[in-house]
Order: sequence, then C-alpha cells, then structure tokens
Amino acid sequence: MELERVDTKRAYEWIQERITTLELQPGSPINEQQLAAEMDMGLVPVREALKLLAHEKLVVITPRHGLYVADVNVPDLEELSEMRLSLEGLSARLAASRASDDDLVVLEALRHEQASTDPGDSRRLFDIDHKFHEAIARAAHNKYLGDALERLFGLSQRLWYLALPQMGFLPSAVEKHLDLVQAIRARDGDRAEAIMRQHVAEFYGQVREVLENPEDKGASQ
Amino acid sequence: MDDHAKPSLVLGIDTGGTYTDAVLLEYETRRVLASHKSLTTKRDFSIGIENVIEGIHIEDPSAIRMVSISTTLATNAIAEGKGKRVALLLIGYDPDLISRFKMQERFATPNYHFFDGGHDLYGREKKDLDLAGILARVNQIKGQVEAIAVSSYFSPLNPEHENRVYKAIASVCDLPVVLGHQLSTKLGSVERATTAALNASLLAVLRDFIIAVRRAMERRKIDAPLMVVRGDGTLMSDEFAARTPVETIHSGPAASAIGGRFLSRLDDALILDVGGTTTDIALITSGQVTVSEDGASVGNYKTSVKAANLLSIALGGDSHIHLGHDQQILVGPERVTPLAYLAWKHPRVAKQLKALALRTWSQATPDWLEYWFLLREPQENLLKSQRDRELVEFLEGGPQPLPEILKHLQILHTAQVGVEELMRQEIIGRAGLTSTDLMHIDGRYDVWDREAAQHAWKVFCQFQFRDQETLREQVWIQMSEMIVHAVVTFLASRPLELGDRQRSLEGTDRDMGRWFFYNSLYQAHPQLETRFRLHTPIIGIGAPASIFLPDVGEKLNSELILPEHHEVANAIGAIAGSVMVEEELLIYPKLSKSGLEVFGYYVQASDERHEFEELGEALAHARTLSQERALGAAIRSGADNPEVTLEELTDGLDTYRIRAKAIGNPRLTR
Repeated sequence: MELERVDTKRAYEWIQERITTLELQPGSPINEQQLAAEMDMGLVPVREALKLLAHEKLVVITPRHGLYVADVNVPDLEELSEMRLSLEGLSARLAASRASDDDLVVLEALRHEQASTDPGDSRRLFDIDHKFHEAIARAAHNKYLGDALERLFGLSQRLWYLALPQMGFLPSAVEKHLDLVQAIRARDGDRAEAIMRQHVAEFYGQVREVLENPEDKGASQ
Repeated sequence: MDDHAKPSLVLGIDTGGTYTDAVLLEYETRRVLASHKSLTTKRDFSIGIENVIEGIHIEDPSAIRMVSISTTLATNAIAEGKGKRVALLLIGYDPDLISRFKMQERFATPNYHFFDGGHDLYGREKKDLDLAGILARVNQIKGQVEAIAVSSYFSPLNPEHENRVYKAIASVCDLPVVLGHQLSTKLGSVERATTAALNASLLAVLRDFIIAVRRAMERRKIDAPLMVVRGDGTLMSDEFAARTPVETIHSGPAASAIGGRFLSRLDDALILDVGGTTTDIALITSGQVTVSEDGASVGNYKTSVKAANLLSIALGGDSHIHLGHDQQILVGPERVTPLAYLAWKHPRVAKQLKALALRTWSQATPDWLEYWFLLREPQENLLKSQRDRELVEFLEGGPQPLPEILKHLQILHTAQVGVEELMRQEIIGRAGLTSTDLMHIDGRYDVWDREAAQHAWKVFCQFQFRDQETLREQVWIQMSEMIVHAVVTFLASRPLELGDRQRSLEGTDRDMGRWFFYNSLYQAHPQLETRFRLHTPIIGIGAPASIFLPDVGEKLNSELILPEHHEVANAIGAIAGSVMVEEELLIYPKLSKSGLEVFGYYVQASDERHEFEELGEALAHARTLSQERALGAAIRSGADNPEVTLEELTDGLDTYRIRAKAIGNPRLTR
C-alpha cells in the first residue's frame, strides 16, 4: 500500500518539513496549486497530504478562509508541555525498571554520539536528542506510550525551530542525558523521572520566553 | 453487474537487454489483444517502461486487473556496479578463515566489518554479541553508505543476534537494514552475507523503479495491483519485491520460459529465447521451470537465492559480426545497432555504404563498417573531457564511420577516445554488421534498408576474398553451432571448450569430446555415426527465433515449436506465472552445553521460535505453522485461493526442514 500512494507520502513529508522548519510560517495561508507546482505533482496527492497534516494539527482547514499553517501560541504550548512532561517522565521511570542490556547499549551509544557532535551543528544535535527520547520510550516497553510521545514530539519540533535563533541547542542537555542514562542503569525510577521532567521543562521554559517576547526574536537575528 | 461481463485484462511487461516488451492479454482466454516494443534504456529502465506503457494500445484502462513486470534491473545493477553503497556487518565470522580463502571478494561490498557473536550448528550462542562495538562502528560509517546488511553466523538456526542488531541500529540511525536470515534459510554463511549485501544495495534501486512504474500506470489511468517476477518465474507483489529485490535476479529469462510454456501448453520443453543481445536457455519439466537449488550467481557473486536454472550466451539478433585479431569471423559478444536500420534512418549512411562498396579492396576496409552516432543530447556535466565534447559535436552532424572519427579527433586507435562511459550512458551508440543485416540480405526480414546491408556485406566479404553467399552460409552455421554448443553444455552441466572444427574431425586435435560434438553435427566419420537427439521439443521465443532456430532444431534432432506471439512470450510470461510463497522452518535439537544431552527440539521460523520436548510434537507443530505462514504470506502477496504443499527434508545431525509452498493464481481486482 505504501508504494501506491508515494506521491501523497512525498507531499506529506515535504510540507511537514517546511512547516516544522518554519519555512512555511505559522499562521500563513497555504496555496495548494503553488505547492503542487513546486513539487511537480498533481493536486490530488497534495490535498491528501494536507488532510493528514490537518489531522496532526499542523494545518488548519476552515470553510471560509481556506487553508493555513497552524498558529503557535502560548496556550497551545502550555497544553503540549503538560502532556509531554508527564509522559516523558513516565517513559523515563518505566525505562529505569524495564530497560534491557541492549537498550542501555543503545542509550550509551546515542549519548556518545551526542557528546562527540560539533556543538554548532544544532540540527544534528536535535536529531540525536529525538532519537534519545525515542530510545527511552522503547526501553519503557510500552508501545502506546511510544506512539503518543512521537506525536507530541512532532508538534514540539516546530517550537524548537522557533526558539532556535535565541537558544541554540541546550548545552546542558548533554549532561542531562548522561545523568539520565546513569539513573536508568541504576534502576532508579524516581531520579530518572525527575531528570527527564526537568530536561523537558527547561526546553519549554525557553520556548515560552521566546513566544512571550517576540520583539527579542527580531533583535537577535 | 456489468463488470462480470467484461473480460479480465492483464498487462505484462518485460525489460530485456535490447527491447522492453508489453503485451495486453485477456486472462481467461489467453487472447493477445495488443503488444508493443520500446527500446530498453539501460541508463534508467523506467524510461523504457514508461514508453512502452504509453505506447501500447489500450481501449479501456479500467478493465486492466493486473500489471506484472519482469526486469533485468537487479542483474544489471549488480553487473554494472550501480547498486547503492552498503556496509556489511559480519557477526561471528572468522576473519582469518575469510581472508585465507579470499572469501571477502565474494561479499559484494568492500565495506565489511567483523564482530563477536553468532551461534553454532545447534543454535547455541557461540560468543556474546558485541553490540556496543557494532553501534560505535555504525556511528563511524553511517555517512559513507546508503544501507546496512547484517549476517550472523548460523542465523537461520537462531536469528537472535541479527534481530538484536537490527533493533539497536534502527534506534541510532535511519539507514535501511537488511538481515541475512530473512532472505535465506540456507546455512552457507558466505552466500548469505553476499545475498544480504546485494539485497541492501538494490533496495533503493528497485523501489525507485517500482515507483516509476506505478506513476506511469497512474498516468494511463491503470488502477491495478502490480506484480514482479522472481528469478524462478513466480510472482510477488510489488511490496514484497521492494523488500527483497535480490529475488528478481534472472527474472527476465524465467519469464520467457513461463511464457513459452503458457503459449505452447507443453509441460516438458527446452526454451530458447533469442533476444537482441543474448540467447537464454531454460528447461521446463512437468510444467515447471527447473530451478537451481544451489542459489543463483550473478556477475562474480554467488547468492543463496533460488532462481531458474539457465544459461545465457552473448548471441542475439544484433550481435556484432566482425573480424578477430587473426582475421577469424566473430559473432558477438557486443550488441550493436544493425547497419540496415542506421541507413534506413539516415540516408547519408546508405549513400556512404553504396560508395564504399564501389571502392577497391585496399580502400574499403571493414573498419568503415563501424559507425558511431548520437543517441541523445547529453547534459553538459556528462561530458568529462574536451575530447568528449569534440566527439559529440562531430556526431551532431549525423552518424560517422570509425575512420572518419579517428581522423577528426586526430588519434590512431579507439582506445584513445575513452568512449565507454558515453556508450554506457547511452549518449553514443555503435552500429555495425549484425545477423539482422544478414536476414535482410536473405530476404527473411525486410523492414529496413536491405540494399545498405548488401553493400556492407559485399565490403566485408571482398576484404577477405570470400564469396558472399558462402560466407553468409558460414556465419549462419557458426551461430547455430554456438547455440547447439550452449544447449549441450547446459543440459550436460559441464563445459566443452570448442576449437577448430577441421582439426577436430581430421584428428590433429585428439580431444574426444570435441570430436563427438562436431561429428554429431556434421556426420563426418565414414563408418561411425553420432547424433544429438533431444527428447523434448524446443520452444523458440523472441523475434529472431524463427530464423536462428530451425537449423538448431535439426542439428539436435528435435521438433522446433514457434507458438503464435512467440516474439513477445517473455512479456506474456510476466503475467502467466503463479504467485508463490515458500516458508521453510528448521527443526533442530536443543543440546546441553556439552552436546551430549538432548533437552528438546526447537522449531525456528524467520521471526518466531518454539520449543518442544519431543521431536514428533515439534515436527507436527512445524507442519501446521509453516502451512499457516505460507498461506498468509501468499494471500498478502496477491495470490488467489493459494494451495499449500509440504515437503520434509533432513540436514542430518537430527536437523529437519519443513518447507511449505503456497501457490495460487494472481488475484485480479474486480
């Protein structure tokens, strides 16, 4: 089935990347024809892709004003952070009690990779950070939890790009990850959860600052 | 309701070395409604496929219930090194053993790495898996490759290490990962590693190809399942094919054999498929293409993938007829564009050949019979050197004979041009004398410029002071000799080096095998008659078959059958195959560390394993499980009402294999 709707998939990935990396600005209108022309494909797959993105709350479809990229605002951020704080915390706690030896090897490998990556390469660091969170969710051995986190992560990604010009990649994250792996290895669920919550809270705190002081954003660029 | 009255149409496509064929067939009645040929575009097979799908006459695309395709894409990508770069991770392999027997050359990638781990002959862990080492290495090399292949020692008996490695790698990077045990249940560790590496290198290649075919279908409003032919002639869904591209090796010749059987309705026959570039030989016994259980070889690589047992020789309708170093006449192995065609397309070439035929012996040398011409406008970045540009510019004015090209470029020999890359990219084509030209002269084929072929042949013969008719006869005999030789060595499964016929028959060459061969063809011995007698009929396939094969049939004392539509039988074979899935389970004892005590028996499938106390229970469970798995997979792969058969084998050492084969017709959409 996957191969039959390749164009839809391609359109989906292409548009999603442009939304998360803010190439398509939050709140801006979407022109289907223009997207189809840019990707050199028909309108049908573009529409299918936009429907999927609307389902993921990255695109808003209104009967009157047509299509636009979902806005980013502080109330949304609060709701998102609430969910992620709890679930990421739960994920870390479960990982501490359930992680297998192989899971630990993977976490260790990702931590090493992160530590040896050029601190200026923020996109790469963000990608490794994502994999790290995924690996912890996998070590928690609860597939529903993993699915839920993946979706929330997708939405948070855009916030990160929004805040990137000011904060760059959090250098403290590297140490946080080390502490976290140690806590999981020590089977210390309380500590693992606390570290994870703090790590996620810090991220949202920074993003909130950026959103609340949009004038800084212009100044720093 | 109207739909029930509509016949089911199916579209079969075959990409050969020279042509891509398509045929539209009414499935139930086997009636051919339309067929079409396009040139194969080796630089990108999907272009030729798109052309053939665009070109074939289809009245109602919505009536098409299935599209099926056989492709040389995988074989070609391997032979030309066009697969993607792969890192091969070998777990539990002995590096010393590998290097002592130079087995690393068989891995199909120079990027291979050894790690601790693996299992033994009884599925027991030989050594702890070095997962940390593997992830560290993956982190180093992931930027240099496009896919990763993993093969662990004795993984078909116990795939645990491969599975663990897969999970871990998928957590740290986004490259596709191929596991050996998913491709083969055979124990040969080197072949499994090769198969995994080749499969990994072909993943993206076949995927892009399938996507291109699907797009072409969409443009023509064909909404139907797409099937791909395996190397043994059976079909799999495009989704399966995208995961196991290595199974498409040799799918073209296998499809020809299936098509030949389908058209002739014969259950036992020798199939000879004469194409433009090659002649392929396969055997049908009891309605099935004979399969080489050993595993298919492609290029220098031996895989553990089952494929049709076949022999391919470089002789076809467009094989180049030219003179060798000591002036002997050679047919092939290169394929060139026939002069009759070139002259037909470019009247200037016809004129030049006519003028050439009037020149004297010393002025009209055979190198004037080779032409180079522009196949397509190259993109600027494909022209690597000043000489490339000069050459392309020169040919923009039309085809040129070789001596003119050398003169223009002020060089003495073609080797100085370095034109191979431009030819491989299908920017520059070569034309010359071919058997197709001889067919024009004989009047057996008459679509292009016959006169040009005659002029060229006159030049060729005059240069050797030979009579045109005698020499033509000789070339035909030489070609049937080549085919008979191929058939004999194929069926006997042993080689026979051919030498000079005269020497062989007169006795200066003492080799008995050669004497036997020639005497059987020409009845030279005054007292002792020997003959070949082929018990099965020969089914001829491909456009030149009606011309090449009658003499072969006579020499083998067999009946030659040329079924209607034999020229597109390969494309028909692409739709005539059954959907098949095989599930092989291994049953082996669970031993104590010392190996002296049997605790029970394992039943191992590719992704599940069960343990039993008694062998009987284990075998009974394996039978049920393999049937269920084969049936499910066949249905998922597009089989309609598949039937399952069981086969039980033993490997010795208290180890058994239960093989369930689910076969059904492809399910047509309604």
